[in-house]
Formats: sequence, C-alpha cells, structure tokens
Amino acid sequence: MSSKQMLAKIAELNKQLKKSITIMEVCGGHTNTVMRYGIRDELPENINLVSGPGCPVCVTAQEDVDNVVELALQGIPIATYGDMLRVPGTKMSLDDARSQGADVTIIYSADEMLKPENKKRVFFAVGFETTTPMTAFLLSKGITVYSAHKIMIPPMKALLDDPKIKIDGFILPGHVSTVAGEELWKNLGVPGVISGFGEEQILHGVCLLTELIIINEKKIINDYKEVVFKEGNTKAKELVEKTMKLCDASWRGVGVIPQSGLEPKENKLNAKIKYKEILKNVKSKEYKECICGDILKGIKKPTDCKLFGKACTPENPKGACMVSEEGSCQIEWRYRK
Amino acid sequence: MNIKLSEGSGGREMNSLVRDFRKILKVTGEWKHTDNDAAIVKINDDEYVCMTSDSFVVDPIFFPGGNIGDLAFCGTVNDLLVMGCYPKGLSLSFVIEEGFPKKDLDKILESIQAWSKKTTIPIVTGDTKVMEKGKLDKIIINTTAVGICTKEEIIDREVERGDKIILSGGLGEHAVALLSKRFDYETSIKSDSAPLVEELTMVKKQIKQAKDPTRGGLAATLNEFASKYNAIIEIDETSIPIKKEVKSVTKLLGLDPYVLACEGRFVCTVGKDKADDVLKELKVFNKDAAIIGEVKEIKSKKPEVLLLTKIGKRILHEPSGNIVPRIC
Repeated sequence: MSSKQMLAKIAELNKQLKKSITIMEVCGGHTNTVMRYGIRDELPENINLVSGPGCPVCVTAQEDVDNVVELALQGIPIATYGDMLRVPGTKMSLDDARSQGADVTIIYSADEMLKPENKKRVFFAVGFETTTPMTAFLLSKGITVYSAHKIMIPPMKALLDDPKIKIDGFILPGHVSTVAGEELWKNLGVPGVISGFGEEQILHGVCLLTELIIINEKKIINDYKEVVFKEGNTKAKELVEKTMKLCDASWRGVGVIPQSGLEPKENKLNAKIKYKEILKNVKSKEYKECICGDILKGIKKPTDCKLFGKACTPENPKGACMVSEEGSCQIEWRYRK
Repeated sequence: MNIKLSEGSGGREMNSLVRDFRKILKVTGEWKHTDNDAAIVKINDDEYVCMTSDSFVVDPIFFPGGNIGDLAFCGTVNDLLVMGCYPKGLSLSFVIEEGFPKKDLDKILESIQAWSKKTTIPIVTGDTKVMEKGKLDKIIINTTAVGICTKEEIIDREVERGDKIILSGGLGEHAVALLSKRFDYETSIKSDSAPLVEELTMVKKQIKQAKDPTRGGLAATLNEFASKYNAIIEIDETSIPIKKEVKSVTKLLGLDPYVLACEGRFVCTVGKDKADDVLKELKVFNKDAAIIGEVKEIKSKKPEVLLLTKIGKRILHEPSGNIVPRIC
C-alpha cells in the first residue's frame, strides 16, 4: 500500500473511533520521520501522535552532564558520542569545557575506545538497549565508563501511570527491539506495534494500532520482522548481563525512576564510584524555563516552550531536546514551518 | 567566546562567522561577488579576473574514489568553473605533520598532477611548512585558483519565475564514500570528486546560476539561491537522484542526504525553455543528472525552499550544527 492509500485507510478507521486517541512514538528516529513527512498534519483530528522519551541524549540528566564536565575540568580525559558535547550543563557543556582546554574527544563508534590513545579515557556512555551492548563490550575490555545508560520499559510504565497524559498505544522502537527482542514488550498493558523507520512503515503502524484500539486488544504486533526477532540479539544481551547491572537512574526533567538505568558491575570500571571524591561537590540545577521534561513525556509540544526557536536553537541549545538529531525540539526546528 | 566545530560545517553558524569576518575585513576594492565562492574584478573593457581560495582538512585523507589531493584540485577549480571562468593556474600549499609518510605525500601529488595534466590547468606556485608531530592532524592543503573570463562567460544571469533547477548527478556520494571508509563499511560508492570542466564548458552559456553543493550540500545551495533572489524554490523529492546505496548508508547513520557534501556536482538554474536541452547535454556526462524542481516565485517576502515529499510538502531549511565533520 502506498502512503496515500494508508492515510485513506486510517481515515476510514477513524470513523469507527468513539473518542480521540493518543498514540506515542517512543523513538526519536520515528519522530524524525513523522516530522519529515508531516505525518501529524495528515492524520485525522481524532488520532494524536505524540513523541516520547526515546532520545538518549535528551533524557540524560543534567547532573550526569555536570559530573562529566567536572571530571573533564579536573583533568580526566573523556570520550563520548558527538551529540553529548553540546548538551548544556548547569555551568557549561562538554564543548565549553573543551574550549577551556579540557581533554574531551568525540568517538563515532564504541570500538574507537580501544585505540591506544583512547584506552585511558573515561567513556561517557548514553543510550537505550540499542547501544548498551557496545558499552558492555568496552567494559569487558577494561574501559572505565561513566554510564548514563537507560532501559526503555520503566519510563513507559511511568507514562502509563501519569494522570497528565493518557496513552492508548505505542509505536515501539525498532532498533531497541532488534537487540531486546519482541519479548521486551510483553507486559506493556496497552497495544503496541514494533515499527521500522520509513514513512510507510510508520503509517502502517498507526493503522494497526488504530485497529487494535478499536477492538480493545492489548497485544504487541511485530511489524518490523526483517530485523526484529522474538528473543532479540541474545549474544548482545548476554554481554550486557555479564558486565552491567540495574540501578536507579535520573531522567532529565522527570527525576529518578527506580531501576531504570544500567551501571558497570565492576566498581573499578564505574567512573561514578572511581571518582566519587571529585564528584561529591558537583551541584546541579535544571534550567527552570526549559520544559524538556514535559516534552519528553509527550505532555507538551516543543512549540509550547517559550524558549523554542528564540533563546533555544540548535546552534545555542538551552535544553537537551534541542541538541540531538533525535530530540523532539531539534526535529521540530529542522522541519519548522 | 571560542570557535566551535559547527562554525566550519557550511551551515548557519559558518555563515554567521563569515559575516563577522566581513565586519572587520571591509576593503573589497573593485572586486565583486566577494561573498561568493569566487570573486571577480574587471581588468579591461572585455575581461575579468576571477579568484578563489580553499583549504582542505579531510579525514581520512585516502578514501574510495580519491584522496585529499583530488579534493584540493577539484574543489578549487570547481569554485571558478561554477562562476563560468576557466582557471589559468593554481597555487598549492601544504602544511604537513612531522612523521607524515613520504609515499602518501607522493600519492597526493600524483593525483593532483594527473588532474592538472588532464585539464591542462598548471600548478604555478606554492608553499610548504612542516609542523611538530601532534600539532596538526596529518596534512592541510591550501589552494588558490585564478582565471580570466569575459563578461558573457560569467554565470550570473537574472533568475525568473518558472526557471528549472537541474542537479548534474547523484547526491551524497562523496560523503558516503568517506564515511564508509571511516566506519569500515564495504560499499561500491566512490567519491564523486572531479573537476566540472567539460560539463560546465558545455552548458555555461545557457545556465543562469550555478553552484557546487559542497559543505552544507543541496540544502545549503538551494537556500543560497532562494535568499539571493528572494525566491520560492520548489523541489520534488522523487526526482532527486540518490543512489540506493547512498540512501542505505545515510539511513543507517541517520544522516540527511540533502545536507551532505558533493565534490563533483553542480546545481544550476536554467530558463524553462532551455532546461530539456541542458539536461540532455548534462546526461552525456552523468546519466543521473535531473531536473529536480523550479523557481515558483521571485522577489517573495518569504524566500524559502519547499520540498514535495511522498506525503506532503515541507520546508528544506539551511542546515545547521555539525553536519558531518571534516569531509572536505
């Protein structure tokens, strides 16, 4: 079916809906396609598509950024993924720390950490199930890690319990599912469709979800079977299991969600423990006008923020959602009208 | 304030930095087009001198389809060629890191020599500096090209409503070749790096504006056209030539092919009655050449580039941020 035909089918299904529904696309990659093709505008008024907390850069708490900035300023060499450099901290970003002489390097792929010049660096690691195995691999090679890794289910459950938003179904992240497997979502409590990232795949996901919502069936459909299998990538999961353990984690604008993060099992490879003396005096304060927290929860849209496009742009971001290519605010800005 | 990486990426930040330069460097004399890739000055009743300068800091320096030497030669001559001027000669300066392999330097020089011979554009002067190990990343090349042309040859004609936009070949191939090398992907894509001598010589009298979409890619180039003429440009996504493999790699890396650099392509505007002829001529050099859109309006209060997608229409903005560092 072409995109236009699928939109027509969604319009047909819409007639059977008794009330308006809210579907959340969890992953920033999905949000990008949704915005790139203007899918939100093309859907019937009753079908709301909202963005969720699936951008790893965006959900990284201010205190984690502040901690790594402090390590860098204290002379500890850092390596991290490019986007993390520009996430604003309380006093400065890692990029600012770098222009003050701190040794912070960008890596594009985790294996670059194994180069002799990088081995001594602390790896500031972020990401969900998709990228955790790479960090687990580095831990197995003895690299020290500052982990801001998170897992996907706890915030989604927290959102389902949040009285400020009612979610009727999820477009589930394809890449997370590739690693974690279909089974990750089995006790979600609302319908979900695992989707690929093309515009047709997302529209198909919306179609399937609307059908499930109409018949009130809370099942999970794998609509990305080319790469997502029931059990996921078992080798990757084993590696994570072996080197990392669950911990409480702080989410930007949301606060601590119990057992929603992952940290190194070995204390000597855990930068938070290894450098706790340096980190104990770091004070963090979130920029109070930034509404990244509510945006990550799908409660507010980027355009609801008074900083959006004015004080906060990709060149000069005030909140993390404006930094990352997968952040709702940057995506909204990129495809602004 | 210190300089950030994004200020060299060919997007909004870089344009703003260059505007800051121009606030300090105010003397432009008789030269025109000093905010363009190449500037021109009238030297007598018929002739103009055209001049450009460029620096190359690519990583990796060897990649599928070329090396930093190819880029230096092609990138520089293309900046003159898109103005309609055939380069008379090139300067070539190297800043080299101590310890750089001589055989790699020879390879780079041989690539430059091969183009120089093929295009008969000589390398006429240059400079060499060597810096201590660790003070720079392998090698930097700086170039200048100068040429003489007549007024008729200069590609700078009034754009009108209805003019067609033509792209001379597939998008994103240089960037994808380079990124594939960086990430160790196996691909058959090669850098498109090449001097645009023959194709531009062929069509230069028929086209109105031309620009090579290097840093910032097609998105930056079209926005530049739009703002120069306060134009509304509409591009049809389905007509933009992008190789399947380029699409796959950009998808894999989460990159937008519209902002990726090409090193052997140009975008031009052509009067609608001449568009089919120009396209036919360009297809001889590259079968992927295509009419990708048209100028919908000029002197608009809201100049912009609109992209027709499979579902609807959206604005193609000037890129910003670190697009992909150091690929040209």
